[in-house]
Amino acid sequence: MPHPDPPRRDPAVFEALFRPKAVAVVGASTQPEKLGYQVFRNLTEAGFAGPLHPVNPKADAILGRKAYPSVADLPEPADLAVIIVPARLVPETIRACGRKGTRAAIVISGGFSESGPEGERLQQDAVAAAREAGIALVGPNCQGVNHPYHGLCASWPLLTTRGCMAIASQSGTVGAALMDWAAQEELGVSAFVSMGNRADVDESDLLDYFAADPNTRAIALYIEGIKSVPRFLRAVAGCSKPLVVLKAGRTPKGRKAAESHTRSLAGRDEVYEGAFRQYRIHRAATLEELYDAAKALAYLTRPAGKRICIITSSGGSGILATDAAENAGLDVAPLPEALRAALKPVLPAHCTVANPLDLTGDATAAMYRQVAEAAAPHFDSLVVIFGDPIPGASEVIPAASPHAVICLGGADVEREERARMHRKGLPTFPTPERGVLALSHLTRF
Amino acid sequence: MAPRDVTVPPREAARRLIEQARAERRHLLEPEAYQLLQAYSLPVPRHRFVRDAEEAVAAAEAIGFPVALKVVSPDILHKSESGGVRLDLRGPAAVREAFEAVRTGARAARADARLPGALVVEMARPGTEVIVGMTRDPQFGATVMFGLGGIFVEIYRDVSFRIVPVAEPDAREMIREVKGLPLLTGYRGRPPADLEAIARMVLQVSRMAEELPEIAEVDLNPVVVHERGVLPLDARVLLSLEETSA
Repeated sequence: MPHPDPPRRDPAVFEALFRPKAVAVVGASTQPEKLGYQVFRNLTEAGFAGPLHPVNPKADAILGRKAYPSVADLPEPADLAVIIVPARLVPETIRACGRKGTRAAIVISGGFSESGPEGERLQQDAVAAAREAGIALVGPNCQGVNHPYHGLCASWPLLTTRGCMAIASQSGTVGAALMDWAAQEELGVSAFVSMGNRADVDESDLLDYFAADPNTRAIALYIEGIKSVPRFLRAVAGCSKPLVVLKAGRTPKGRKAAESHTRSLAGRDEVYEGAFRQYRIHRAATLEELYDAAKALAYLTRPAGKRICIITSSGGSGILATDAAENAGLDVAPLPEALRAALKPVLPAHCTVANPLDLTGDATAAMYRQVAEAAAPHFDSLVVIFGDPIPGASEVIPAASPHAVICLGGADVEREERARMHRKGLPTFPTPERGVLALSHLTRF
Repeated sequence: MAPRDVTVPPREAARRLIEQARAERRHLLEPEAYQLLQAYSLPVPRHRFVRDAEEAVAAAEAIGFPVALKVVSPDILHKSESGGVRLDLRGPAAVREAFEAVRTGARAARADARLPGALVVEMARPGTEVIVGMTRDPQFGATVMFGLGGIFVEIYRDVSFRIVPVAEPDAREMIREVKGLPLLTGYRGRPPADLEAIARMVLQVSRMAEELPEIAEVDLNPVVVHERGVLPLDARVLLSLEETSA
């Protein structure tokens, strides 16, 4: 074989990264405007149960916790170290952590390969130090790790909502945006990792971990380039959970921007396209699609096929959904005669009994429910659009179904019903286009 | 019980071709590229390598008019651009004239071009033109490409890729995912083209890339697809020619 086959990581390092017993924050700060303060504060406020030790030679205590002047002074081993010190101090800090029993380090500091040859050299030193000490290094130049199932927010912003989508991102902001959306929707994430420069831990390692993580049902990945293609494809082949990837740098200029951002080899888009199809990787074209597809794959069941029935209270939304379905390769199939006959007595006289099925502004949750129950056996999935304030909408579709629910135009009632659906584990989508595209991912492979 | 067939096995022949060319620090010549395809059970047009105009005429008569004539030179990679290809030659005089013309064109393009001879090739029946290629990507390794020929690849980039090794379902899928697929499945009364034959070509090119790592690039362009079968009208096989460690 032309490709080398490097060994997988010792699972113990992931244990230290995601479920540490004790955390040292090297470079924790007393100044609220500094990252070293914000990350430490988030760690203290996210509900981490074990000891949290700030390391700072100029402070006695930070946020009420005793600070230690150096890593060597820590009172006990810290299996996870969060490092926020100037780049030139990072290699030595890692060595000191290694002597303290650290197995995983999150290096948030920038000033490494992204900043020029001197930074590149420092990065190599940091990785060498980590390898020597048996430490898995996340970053540098990253936004940290958030694992809400362990009360571990070694990142920002402070988010603690637990869910079943895992997020790994080469860009901190892009990943944080996904996590923020998920928290807003009360869906949450199973884990968030900002990979930064990926000097050591990369997407392949994280795929291996998420594949086995009991809280993760789908994985969303933002990348500008794959670090090691053979390792990545091996990890994908070994992962039975759906993986959605937003690969930035599709256009020649975007590719150039990607190559200078985190210095990744962005690669030709057509080759990525082919490889993704070959390995059954869901490809997202936009950030919204990355989020929506991961959400659908994490929370919905797989429909048996592509035949959909659109049920709506809004004619316009029904047409938009139809267009989106056609574009995404879903089949807005005609209503079978038996279904038409069954629906006639249920529907208001002025309804057109067709697909999309417009229940009109007179629609009630009870009517939606009757229609959905009648239509479901005839189709692979339903696209249910609540295009008005419809009290009780959250009772129409059960959780763990293959149906896409779209809520729009319902103001306060909508917000309340949507929150209920999310709390019961039924995702909703904000527009017909986004909901239908997300649904199409379920039938892609 | 003396073996009747004393020829070397086809794969071994392919390997020898490549070793020979690399020893001479050149890529495969078109007739060698056809031999390579044949070693992988792929169809090639009827062709004959000729050293002079009289041999060219004899070859044309054996193959049957009309024929095409192409310059063969290790120093000319883009034959058509140097006037190195003449099509639809309908008689001996045309063949003689073409033989001299392609050599003149090659010399004009590159004065010191080595010109061992020319290739006389049958004119294929028209059909839908596609391309099948292999390149080695710095990250993904060997990749196989399929696309519709002519403006579809040049302007619309209507191509699909897979990484080697390509499995049979992948080969079928990559053919089906180009936007111009209707041109192959029967458009405006055209008969549907032989998609299975294209898939076989894709698979064999993938196999070639796996088994012969010295091949840097394969470009079968165009390949004419008929109702039954495919026929490459040109084959370029580039080798990796960097110094091998002694």
